[in-house]
Amino acid sequence: MREILRHTPGRIFIGVLFLSVVGMLFVTRYFTQKILVFGWMTLPFFAGLVMVVVWLIAYMIYFFKYWPYR
Amino acid sequence: MIILILVLFGLAILGMAAYGYKVSAKTAEDYMLAGRTIGVVVMFFFVLFAVSSSWTFYGYPGFLYLHGPSYIYFVWGSVAGFAALYMFLGPRLWAIARLNRFLSPVEVLAERYESPFLRVILSLMLLVFIVPYVGIQPLGVGLGFKALTGLPIIVGAAYTVVLLVILVILGGMRIVAWVNIFLGSVYASALLGSLIWVFNRFIPGGLREAAQILMVQNPEMLSAPGPSGYFTPVIVGGTMVVGLMAFSWPHIVIGVMTARDKMLFKWFPILIFIFGGVFFYTLPFIWGTLVAPVVMPGVTGKEAADSIVQTIITKQLPNWFSIYVLMGVIAAAISTAAVQLLTSSIIIARDLIQGFFKPDAEDFQIIKWARWSVVGIVIISLFVSLRYTKAMALYLTEVTIPGFAQWGPALVGGILWKRGTKQGAIVGTLAGLIYLIAGLIYKPLFVGMHPVMPTIIINMILYIVVSFLTQRPSEEIQAKFFDEVDEFLEAG
Repeated sequence: MREILRHTPGRIFIGVLFLSVVGMLFVTRYFTQKILVFGWMTLPFFAGLVMVVVWLIAYMIYFFKYWPYR
Repeated sequence: MIILILVLFGLAILGMAAYGYKVSAKTAEDYMLAGRTIGVVVMFFFVLFAVSSSWTFYGYPGFLYLHGPSYIYFVWGSVAGFAALYMFLGPRLWAIARLNRFLSPVEVLAERYESPFLRVILSLMLLVFIVPYVGIQPLGVGLGFKALTGLPIIVGAAYTVVLLVILVILGGMRIVAWVNIFLGSVYASALLGSLIWVFNRFIPGGLREAAQILMVQNPEMLSAPGPSGYFTPVIVGGTMVVGLMAFSWPHIVIGVMTARDKMLFKWFPILIFIFGGVFFYTLPFIWGTLVAPVVMPGVTGKEAADSIVQTIITKQLPNWFSIYVLMGVIAAAISTAAVQLLTSSIIIARDLIQGFFKPDAEDFQIIKWARWSVVGIVIISLFVSLRYTKAMALYLTEVTIPGFAQWGPALVGGILWKRGTKQGAIVGTLAGLIYLIAGLIYKPLFVGMHPVMPTIIINMILYIVVSFLTQRPSEEIQAKFFDEVDEFLEAG
């Protein structure tokens, strides 16, 4: 992580991950609504799925393009 | 029929353990860290099924069944926590251990902070929280045995313990990792196969039909706070934070030290996100929130809910498939308990016995101590789990994880922060631990929060403050644990 924080792409990467976690905590207030995404996905499931996709994309861009030890 | 299949299954595991013993190098590094040769695919199965215990079959869907979908936030937090371990801590921890031939993460921290006292604290603390969890796995299998055959829980538990002990004693870390591929495949196919079968038989319209049935019959299952009103927004958020602490699970941390090279840390997170997060943990989630409430509504009580998946399979699917699913549960229990058992035995042999009583021990002596401690740990863990039986989901999240979390600040700071000091690590860890124990005895001390939250905050604050107030680590330590590590990782 020391190497990640040393340069701008790394700081952006960490920022994206951090914001996604904050977003996960923020959206919990909407979980009382009985909304089903695609007809079956409950909101806690869907929110996490979005987070994992965000982490996956951010990680792939950073680790394969910018990670100093790649 | 059941007995024959389980005997064959057991023999397959024992055969792999014997083969592992035959090909092993008989060194402490080989026994404890698989000779630091684990590649990315084996590592994935090793870690995923070290994590995926019988809890994913019993405790997890059981808790979802009782309290609705919000409990999945624990899994989302865990996925992020495991990924963070491999992306942020992993490369440095691996490099430190490899450069200095360290065999245990506790040893890494003891040397980093130059503190034998910290080594004792961390060793005992991790053992106290990991050992009861080892015992829960055989008991989980015992529950499955009972649901399928009517035999007492102790029969299934004894069967699992025998396999477990022989596997760990003979095989060591390498064969435990390899056997996890076999066990994980059995478990994943049992979980997925049973889900597909139940859908075809009872809910042919699939996931949407299940959700529509619940929307009419039991709509509380589809949202927070859930049927019993448990999951308020604060609890949901706290559940995720508890999951994030997964980076501090000692049996997962030690996995990092078995990696073959630093490239593993580049590729490994893909598998965590796609196969772990999106695929594997979705299966028990669907079981607990959609399938079980539709197929068997109205079950109450933690124990009945914990075995809801097994009960449905046993009652509704053919007997031979129930046996296969039970094999899957046994596989899950063994794959997790084996890694936990090995981790505990490494801490005892390397950090406690060699660290304090025989620093100049030969490899064969260290391995011997590790093997003997396996037997002792199993006996103690079974005794503790039988004596203090508690619902599995709660034991994991309320006791074990807060306990593991208490070495988190010292671990992260020791690897990433040059300024972290011995005094900071000792004060923070002890304060967090004492607070946790006091709070588990007298709940109001947690001021309404999950045990992990107040304890880890106090631990972290004290670690940072005391570190700033005390003398910075020596130049020699900074060079050994930071500068040389940077050079090694940059050099490729």
